[in-house]
Amino acid sequence: MKGTNLGEFQELILLTIGSLHPEAYGVSIKEEILNQTGRSVTLSTVHSALVRLEEKGYVKSEFGEATSIRGGKRKRYFVITAAGVKMLAEAKEQREALWDSLPEVVFKLDLQ
Amino acid sequence: MGLSAGSGFQTGPSMIENHPKLKPPRLAQRFLRWYCKPRLLEYIEGDIEEDFAKRYFKSGARSARLYYTLDVIRFFKPFAIRNFSKTLNSNTMFKINSRIAFRNLAKNKLYSFINITGLAIGIAACLIISHYVLFQLSFDRFHENADKIFRVTTTSYRNGEYGNTGLYCGYALAPALARDVPEIDQTARIHAYFGGAIISAPGTTSPRPFFEEEVLFVDPSFLDIFSFPLLQGEKESALKDVNSILITERMAKKYFGENNDSVIGETLRVNGGYTREEFKITGILKDVPANSHVKFDFLMPLARVLQSEQYTAPGADFGWTNFFMYAKINANSTEKSVEEKMVDLFHNYDPDLEANSLKIELSLEPIVDAHLRSTIDNEDGDQATGGDINSVYFLIIISAFILVIAWINFINLATAKASERGIEIGIKKAMGAIRPQLISQFLTESFWVNFIALLLAVGISYSLLPILGNIIGESLQLDLTHPVILTGLGLLLIIGPVLAGIYPAFILSSFKTTQTLKGKSSSSKGQYNLRKGLVVFQFVISTLLIAGTFTVSRQLNFMKKRDTGIDMDQILVIKGPRIGVTEAKYEAFTSGVKSIAGVESLGTSRSIPGAGYSFGTTARKEGLDESAEKRIDATWIDKGFMETYGMELIAGRDFSDVSTENNNGSDGALISETAVKTFDLGTPEEAINKKLLISGDTTIIRGVIKDHNWRSLHKGYTASAFYFTPGTTRFFSVRMNTQNTKSTLEGIEEEYNAAFPENPLEYYFLDDFFNRQYEQDQQFAKIFNAFAGFAIFAACLGLFGLASYTVVQKAKEIGIRKVLGAKSMQITMLFSKKYMLLILVANVLAVPIAYFGIKNWLQNFAFSIPISAELFLLPILVLAVIAVLTISIQTIKASMANPTKNLRNE
Repeated sequence: MKGTNLGEFQELILLTIGSLHPEAYGVSIKEEILNQTGRSVTLSTVHSALVRLEEKGYVKSEFGEATSIRGGKRKRYFVITAAGVKMLAEAKEQREALWDSLPEVVFKLDLQ
Repeated sequence: MGLSAGSGFQTGPSMIENHPKLKPPRLAQRFLRWYCKPRLLEYIEGDIEEDFAKRYFKSGARSARLYYTLDVIRFFKPFAIRNFSKTLNSNTMFKINSRIAFRNLAKNKLYSFINITGLAIGIAACLIISHYVLFQLSFDRFHENADKIFRVTTTSYRNGEYGNTGLYCGYALAPALARDVPEIDQTARIHAYFGGAIISAPGTTSPRPFFEEEVLFVDPSFLDIFSFPLLQGEKESALKDVNSILITERMAKKYFGENNDSVIGETLRVNGGYTREEFKITGILKDVPANSHVKFDFLMPLARVLQSEQYTAPGADFGWTNFFMYAKINANSTEKSVEEKMVDLFHNYDPDLEANSLKIELSLEPIVDAHLRSTIDNEDGDQATGGDINSVYFLIIISAFILVIAWINFINLATAKASERGIEIGIKKAMGAIRPQLISQFLTESFWVNFIALLLAVGISYSLLPILGNIIGESLQLDLTHPVILTGLGLLLIIGPVLAGIYPAFILSSFKTTQTLKGKSSSSKGQYNLRKGLVVFQFVISTLLIAGTFTVSRQLNFMKKRDTGIDMDQILVIKGPRIGVTEAKYEAFTSGVKSIAGVESLGTSRSIPGAGYSFGTTARKEGLDESAEKRIDATWIDKGFMETYGMELIAGRDFSDVSTENNNGSDGALISETAVKTFDLGTPEEAINKKLLISGDTTIIRGVIKDHNWRSLHKGYTASAFYFTPGTTRFFSVRMNTQNTKSTLEGIEEEYNAAFPENPLEYYFLDDFFNRQYEQDQQFAKIFNAFAGFAIFAACLGLFGLASYTVVQKAKEIGIRKVLGAKSMQITMLFSKKYMLLILVANVLAVPIAYFGIKNWLQNFAFSIPISAELFLLPILVLAVIAVLTISIQTIKASMANPTKNLRNE
């Protein structure tokens, strides 16, 4: 399964793309992550994750409109593909299964 | 607050227009555009710029620009970087150009061969010489504190007149200087084991004595100052005990075999002039590197030699100048400041100086200069200087010349071939090639030729360096890891192609399209003249080198053949025994040797020609005051010496009638003709029975010996004195007749072993020994010869290429001439004439330069060959013959060819 598994960061990006749909592109993803999780990520990390996700086929992209704040360069919007959705669902299922298997006692631990 | 960038800044355009400063950093932007994958560029750049704009409004221009740059750098990651090798346009061009280059090389095989071999030889010569030069320059730099270690030199003046500069000083100088000059951190004294020692290891199963010369007495600080690491033993305590001895790894193997783990604690018996006892080995030293001017196999404590009677006698502290002194100055002092402090200190130590109207200045000589740039007067024996920086410079110049010759070949051949490439260039231009493209094509060709030549050169040097090493007696290996060599090669690979390729590239690419396509030759007069100029230059260098080679070998021959006033042939010198010498044994040996049929005579002496004198001192004519003192060198000889050496007495008596029993020093001395002149004694006849004060002792002059070369011919005749000794065991010299050398040698060996059984027999022939003084000169000659050969070969290669090319071009002209009735000979002459003229011009230029060079070099020798016309004519002749042969190979071939063949194809 190696290679098709999602890393934690890639999963985060994928979820963000989904939540921004259909207006997910580099800068907006970066800002959304900052707003939602407080994590400050750089553009290049976002981009490299996007490239990898696209290679794996979980997202697809198309050029959008150009704005002058971008110096007239077009945006590239990303949307999740069916495979990406499936992957997210699988990841979620796996987690839930694991959550379900947690014994009660764990929650009673004094975790401060 | 899910801010959507796209919508949030819809008002952007007006804001941006109002902010003319809103421009991303240019450099970063260009960098991004250069490296980024084109597919990704637009939206990566867009994203960065959007971020930039937002940050600009939030935190200002500076922060925004900074983050822009940072972002660009952060994006320099594999996913965003384009594939340079496949997409860079000029890279494709390089590939195509390379292919064309190789096709061209394959098409003109002879031309390519000449070009590449010529260059390879040039580069190889450079590589080889640079190895030698680097070795020479690396001397004594391996010491950790090399720049702070100095040897102390003494320069003497008598009555204000320069005497000499040397290293020998008394043992008390080092402590005195260390006390008076606080900048001196440490001092170390060295005392050579004069005369050598016979060393054996009594603890081994079959102890065999060896005669060892590289034995030094040193202060314990020697090991601190210099970086001669100990493999075994403690540095601090190794030389503390007077009965300790340190040996090198090499010696450990020699005396104790390969399994020498437990050598420490073993004993060595050292028998010689200073010691006759056993010493305990306290350490094993790493072998002394070849590039050290201090050489030794054994180190013994200086304290031991200071115990000897000689040095404990009153006045010995400054009186016996048998020591070398080294000093390490502290890290913050400079050579100059320390030197200034010490220069006049000597007078405080030795009050006798002034009385003798002598002045001695002390100075420092960096040990890194000891090998090549020593200021001391070149003396025999221990004080001999190593190399000579001038010959190192000279070799660098020669190697540069050879390289230049090779590059000139390349330029010449490339421009000569220009017209052949004309059509190719014309078509390319017609198809729309622009000039930079053509230039890059020819530079690519040049690059490949240089590159292949470089590889070949590395191969050549790899196989030749060990051979060169053998010639000069050092081990040289191709060392491609040396930073200097590596940078050199790198530079050659960049400079070579550009330097050799740029001119032809510009010439070739400048051709006019229409003209070349019409088939007009585009070689201009200017190019032709340049070519001629370059050929002349090559031949100037060749003439210089041939003349040089010729002179050097003539001079060396002259030195070997010259009548030195001593008959050196057929003299066998036997080094005297050290152990168990008694008068009876001495008598037995000498009379035994004399009775051998092949022995004509035997003489003994304290020194022999080529080994220097026993001592140098000053003397004056009796009745004159001390200001008349001049240097005189002296040694001791016995009755048979003059006869054995064939030295000629021109006045007075020799020692043959001295009564051995009644020897009390009143026999007087024999002096050389030069000494008669030096001390103003009139004619040789008048000098007899006059008195000389030599070292203060009144000496009667018994006889005068004809001037002879006791030392190498670098030096003039010396004022010398010979004292009488009834017999010494230092050197036995045996004159043999030419019959049955083998059985004579066997007889001598038998006698020696019978008389001195504990001593190893060492002997050599005097002429070999004497000529060893010219080793440096011979090395120089051999290297010179080799590289002159290189240079001439490279120059001829170029000439050959040029001639063959001209012949091909003029094939039709030759054909027509032949059809019209010209003879082969005439045609050959016609073509050779042009080149002969070039050689003539080259020689006119070369002769004056050669004259000054030769004159300069011959000044190194007190006895030298005269500068004759022959020295120049012969090289010119040789070069002319070589050149004519080179050209003729081509021209004769062309003139013999059937004219119809050449005229048929159009």
